Formats: sequence, C-alpha cells, structure tokens
Amino acid sequence: MERIVGIDLGTTNSLIAFIDGDVPRVIPDPQTRDALLPSVVSFLADGRVIVGRQAKELAAEQPLTTIQSVKRFMGLGMEHVTTDDRRRYRFADGQGIVRFAVYGKQYTPPEVSALILRSLRERAEAYLQEPIHKVVITVPAYFNDSQRQATKDAGKLAGLEVVRLVNEPTAASLAYGLNKKEEGLIAVYDFGGGTFDISILRLHAGIFEVLSTNGNTRLGGDDLDQRLAERFLLAGLPEALQHDPRVLSSAQQAAEAAKRALSDSEEAHLTLDMPTQGIHISRTLTRREMEEAVEDIVARTLAPCHQALKDAGLAPRDIEAVVLVGGSTRMPLVRRRVGEFFGRTPLADLNPDEVVALGAAVQADTLSGRRRDMLLLDVVPLSLGIETMGGVMSRLIERNTTIPASVKEMFTTAVDDQTAVDVHVLQGERELARDCRSLARFKIPIEPQPAGVPRVEVTFMIDANGILNVTATDLRTGHERSVEVKPSYGLTDEEIERLLEESIDFAEEDVTRRLLIEARTEADSVLHGTPKALRRPAALLAEGEETRILAALQALREARAGEDYNHIRDLTEALSEVTTPFAQRIMDTSIQEALGQKRLSEL
Amino acid sequence: MDYPNTVRCWRCAHEHPPVLFCPACQAIQLLPSQVDYFSVLGIPRSPVVNEAELTQRYYDLSRRLHPDLYQSGTAEEKEASLKNTALLNRAYRTLRDLLQRSQYWLELQGEQLGKDNNRVPPELADLVFEVQEKLAEVRELRAEGKETEVGAELARIRAELNEQMVGLRTALAENLAQWEGGRQAPKLLPGLKHLLSEIAYLRTLLRDVEKESDTQWNA
Repeated sequence: MERIVGIDLGTTNSLIAFIDGDVPRVIPDPQTRDALLPSVVSFLADGRVIVGRQAKELAAEQPLTTIQSVKRFMGLGMEHVTTDDRRRYRFADGQGIVRFAVYGKQYTPPEVSALILRSLRERAEAYLQEPIHKVVITVPAYFNDSQRQATKDAGKLAGLEVVRLVNEPTAASLAYGLNKKEEGLIAVYDFGGGTFDISILRLHAGIFEVLSTNGNTRLGGDDLDQRLAERFLLAGLPEALQHDPRVLSSAQQAAEAAKRALSDSEEAHLTLDMPTQGIHISRTLTRREMEEAVEDIVARTLAPCHQALKDAGLAPRDIEAVVLVGGSTRMPLVRRRVGEFFGRTPLADLNPDEVVALGAAVQADTLSGRRRDMLLLDVVPLSLGIETMGGVMSRLIERNTTIPASVKEMFTTAVDDQTAVDVHVLQGERELARDCRSLARFKIPIEPQPAGVPRVEVTFMIDANGILNVTATDLRTGHERSVEVKPSYGLTDEEIERLLEESIDFAEEDVTRRLLIEARTEADSVLHGTPKALRRPAALLAEGEETRILAALQALREARAGEDYNHIRDLTEALSEVTTPFAQRIMDTSIQEALGQKRLSEL
Repeated sequence: MDYPNTVRCWRCAHEHPPVLFCPACQAIQLLPSQVDYFSVLGIPRSPVVNEAELTQRYYDLSRRLHPDLYQSGTAEEKEASLKNTALLNRAYRTLRDLLQRSQYWLELQGEQLGKDNNRVPPELADLVFEVQEKLAEVRELRAEGKETEVGAELARIRAELNEQMVGLRTALAENLAQWEGGRQAPKLLPGLKHLLSEIAYLRTLLRDVEKESDTQWNA
C-alpha cells in the first residue's frame, strides 16, 4: 500500500502530515523544527527560487518578486485582480488566468503553489526516507470549481498525484471527532490567513456528514493585518510612500506581529523602521484599539454562519460544539463573537494551525485503504447551473448537495441545421448569469437536423473532490460525445503538459539538491552529537579510540562543506562505525548509573 | 422507467437482476440510472417513509459504496462507486424531504405539476395580496431606516406564512398516508397535485420574505 500524505496548502502557512502508527503527526522543518512553512515564494534575480521562512524575510526587501498569499489568486482571472493587488505585484497583460510577471517570466498561481508543494514534499521525503507521490490536499470549503481545479493543477505541477481534495473544516472535524469520540451536531468555524469557512456537521458512528457550508474565500487574517497597517502605520505617511510595495509589505508584517502579540497581552509595540524611506514609527497598540479597528471585518464572518445554519435547518442553540480552526481564531475578539453567536464557549483545545493538516492525514489513511472506521460525506458549497435564455442562471445542482452528485439535462437546437450547441456552465447563488462565476464553456457537436430534433443528454457529475465533469450522449445514436471543456480561468491540459516538461531538467537538479540536503542533515546530527559524547570520562575510551574518532569527525566536516552527497553519506557511516563501541559503553554506564542511583534511593 | 430485468456482472459474468453488489462474487455493480429511489435505498415503495430507517439505510449503503473506499480499485469499480453514490445521494435527498418525496411520488404516477403552476391557487389569492402589500410596507419602513420595525414586521409575515405551511404539510402527510402503495391512486391523485401546487406557491412567497430578511443580514 503506497503511503498518502496530507497537505494543508494555506494562504499564510502550509503543513504536511502523515499517520504515524495510528496517530496523525505534522512533519517539522528539519532545521527549525517548525511545522509551519510560510506560503511565500521569492524569485531571485539569478534564477533561484526560495520558499518558506527565508522567502518571507525577503518580502520586505523584494516585495514585487516575492509572492505571498498566492492562494488568494487561485482559480481567478485577470479581471478579478484588484487595484490593491496591482500595488503589490506586477501582472502580465492579457485575459484569462492570472499571471504574475517576475524578472521577464510569467508564473500562474498554480505554478507558484506547486513550488510550495515541492518544498513540503522534500521535507516529507527527507523525514520519512521514502519518495512521496500521492497526496490529499485541503481546500477552503467555499472554494469554487475553478479554485479546486487550480489546486489540483498545482499538485500535478509539483509531480504529485492529488488523490483527493478535502474541505478544510471537514478535515478539521475529522481530527477533532476522532480525538474526542464526539457525536452530534457541530459547527467548524475556520478563520484562516486568507479565507473564512463555516461548516455544520452531524457526527454519527464514524460518519462525518456535512449538512451545510458557507464562507468567503477572500476574508482572512490578511485583511486584519492590512486594516491595522493602514490605520496605525500608513495613515500618517505621504501618499507616495503609502503605495510603495516595500512599505506596504513591511507595514503588513509589522501589523501581523502586533496582532499576534495582542492575542496574549493587552498591549503591544507596533514598529515600522525603514531608514532609507525615512520612516520611523514606533507606538503602542492596545488590544482595545485593535479590536475597534477590525470589529467590522470579524463581524463579516457572522452572516455566513447565519446562512449555513439556515441551510441546515438549525438554530444556533442546536449546535452541541463549536470548533475553532485557523490562526485568526486565536484572537480574543473572534472567540467572543463566535461565542455570542452560538451561545456557547467555542472549543480551542486542538492547535488551530495544525488541525486541518492532521485531518488531511486521517483522510489520506482512509483513501490508502488502511482505515475503514470513518467516512466523510461532504457537500458542494455553491449551486451549479447553466446559462439559459435571457442570461438567466438555471440551477441544476443546489448548494449543500452531498457529493458525488449528478444531474442530467437534455439539449436540443433552436435553429435548423445547427452543428453544435453552446453550453455555459456557471457556479453561484445569484439569479443572473453575469453575477455568477463562469466555470467553463463547451460545444456539443450535433449532426445538422431540423430545429428541436437533436436530443443530446448532458450529464454533469460533481466528483468527491467537488470538481465538475461533463459527458454528453447523443440519444438518437446512443454514442457518447466527447465534450471539450475550456476552463474559464484555468490551465488547459496542454499547458500543464508543457510546464511539466519544462520542469524535468529542474526536477533532476531538485533530486540532487534534495539528497544533498538530506545527507547534510544526517551528518549534522552526528557532527553535533559526537564531540558532546567525547566530553564523557576518558576512562570510557579505549586506547587510540579518541584519535580515530577525531579523524573521522574531521573528514566528515570537510565532506559536509562539499557538494557530493554520496561522499557525505559514506563518511557519516564511517564515523558512526568508529563511535559505535564507544556509544555502547556510554549506554551501559548510564544504565549502571541509573541502577546505582535507584539502589541508593531505596536504602 | 424501463431498464433491463437482468444484467451481467462485469467481473464474474454472473447474470442477476440490477442490484448494488453481485450476488455471486460481491463485486460492486453499476446500477441502471433509471432504478427508482425506493429500490436504490432498499426500502418499501411507499410515499410514507420511516425517517430513522431511511437515514440508517443511507449511512449503511454509503459505507459500502462511497468512492473513498475504491480509491485503489479497478476502473469498473471506480465508475460504479461514483455513479451509484451520486444516485444514492439523490435518492436520499429526495425521499427524506416531505415535499420532494411527494413530487417524486407524483412523477412515479406519471404526473407532473402543470405548467399553469404560476397561476395563484384560488385559496391563496387573499393571502398573496396581503403579503405583497405588507412587503411593500416593509420596504418603505426600511427606506425610513426603521430597522427594528422592519424586523418585527418580517417576523409577523413569516409566522403567518409558516402557519399556513404547517397546515398544508399536515394535509399533504395525510394524503400520502392513504395511498396503500398505490391502490387508492385515482381517489388521491387530484388532491396531491393541488396541495403541491399550493405549497409551491407558498414557498415562493416565503422566499420573497427571506430575501427581505437577507438584505437585513448582509447589510
């Protein structure tokens, strides 16, 4: 059975988790021990790409070539890019999918996300010492079809098979439900870095049934930071500086730091020090001031909660437990508002940053066939339909329908000898097609016939990932017709093919780099441990042993500075070999010491 | 609703009536999409359902059919799992809800709600007039910024409509309870059609009221 790992591809941070025995665990960064990988990608002028913590540090210096919160752009078209976005990044001209312009090259959001996924994959491969091919990736429950497709594309571009997309609040409920053995109606309030989701679930005998979901895919901690930066840092600056990408980026990071501090204390320092721009701001921000500044943003999460309950046919008092997920739920203001809305104290005993990744690992375990005691029944977050006469959205699948879901629709022609029927697929709750999100357009080829004679049955199938698939059958011939769906804001299959081919050279280089990093990490642990051990009483060392160990140590140090991972591995092995008898003696002595102490205390 | 009486198992070629699992080799079978919802869920074909039993059947079948369980299966298994689960979900969604179940029952009798469904049923004419008038008042109150009164007025209208709805639903449930599997069809069918069209109209009114309430929440 091939291992499947779980990935939380977040707006601000991403994590990767696996099942260790029976317990889900997140995999930390080997150097920093931090489980969170900042979802930041920095492109350098020399062609190198930096991902994670170091990229985040580069954001202030190189804001235009450092992409933060790329998740906000997933599945969007150029017409959705806002003025604020344009202040932060440079975009390529043209229509269709969003393209960032960086050093004369263009990168789509799935490509940037793929770099984050690669980094997580490397981390997991180094930790688990095995190649990783299959993953479960979580997405906001309120992600539409384009956003889901873009996430799947990102996985493909990272050389991964995305076995399943799982909704973030649902994943969190898995980790929560299994932990607590809870039954009944629960609400998962997931307020992350860039997105907000609310899901209402019924937990019963291992079945996790989502009753309804709602949210906002452009509402998160980023918005809080931006508000604080605008109000307390940028407001007093000259206009030109307010729009300087470097100032914006630094101000936002400073605001984020203060916001975090204010979760635990009543006051925090808010500092923006940029000597080259002549900016020196240092002030105290109280929790009260912060709360007043962001109150309306937090309040915007309550309308979706109201709607989700209504769709589930429930009242706030019916909910037996409210689970908090996402970093933004650390804010006392958020906890108060959620508590007031549901009339009960929300639960926050699981780490809100990790719970989604842990749940993804649990679902991965089920999909790999190892686990049979639980089942997720999830829903489609937004209604799906087609454009009909007069630009009206005609709904075929209502929101909160359990997936997989399918619906059949009959198409015919309105004019004689028509050779094709145009179908425009939409997603959303608005009455008019132009107010809904365009997912795709396709043509069904038809043999020329008098108007109204052709009969083509089109099946819309939403799979377990919440992604739409379309098939068409000519009912007169019974032949299945191929339907070429052109995603409105996505990559075509050909584009993905091309991007993958381009990345093959890159991939080989990657493997070498990865093996080198692994070898160095291993070397570091013995290089670090051995000198410490040598400080033990000399009596434990046999004659000439110390000299041999020191020689092996020196050889490994030199090898580690080089690039040859095989050489580093060999010398790490050699060092372990010469130290094994010594280590054995230390161990024996420790046991004797421990026993001796015990006897002493017993006397 | 025609579909073959027997189908052949894709794995062991055993011939069997359309069922979810092959009686011979237990392999999952693609159910013809025309199979009626009662058969999909394996419950008696009757417009009255036992909700607890229905949900239990749905959970039990989900646990055996869901695509999560066939991730590493063959192409046939994956297709059957996906399509059967979609059918099961639709069947459950339809049968658990009184109104959807009634409409589906009507369709099974070869009937549909008429095209004249947009015409106001005579019994509701007064009510429709009254609600539209009150909603106009609500919009005026809102324009004057009297949100508290808007809320109170909307609550009153909603309560009145809901009361009507409760009455109609009770009548509907009573109608369904007398079908005896279908033997009483000629006697009950006209009443069922009429009730459903009244309910459909009332729901449109309720939606109008909800739209006004949503404006309040989203403001």
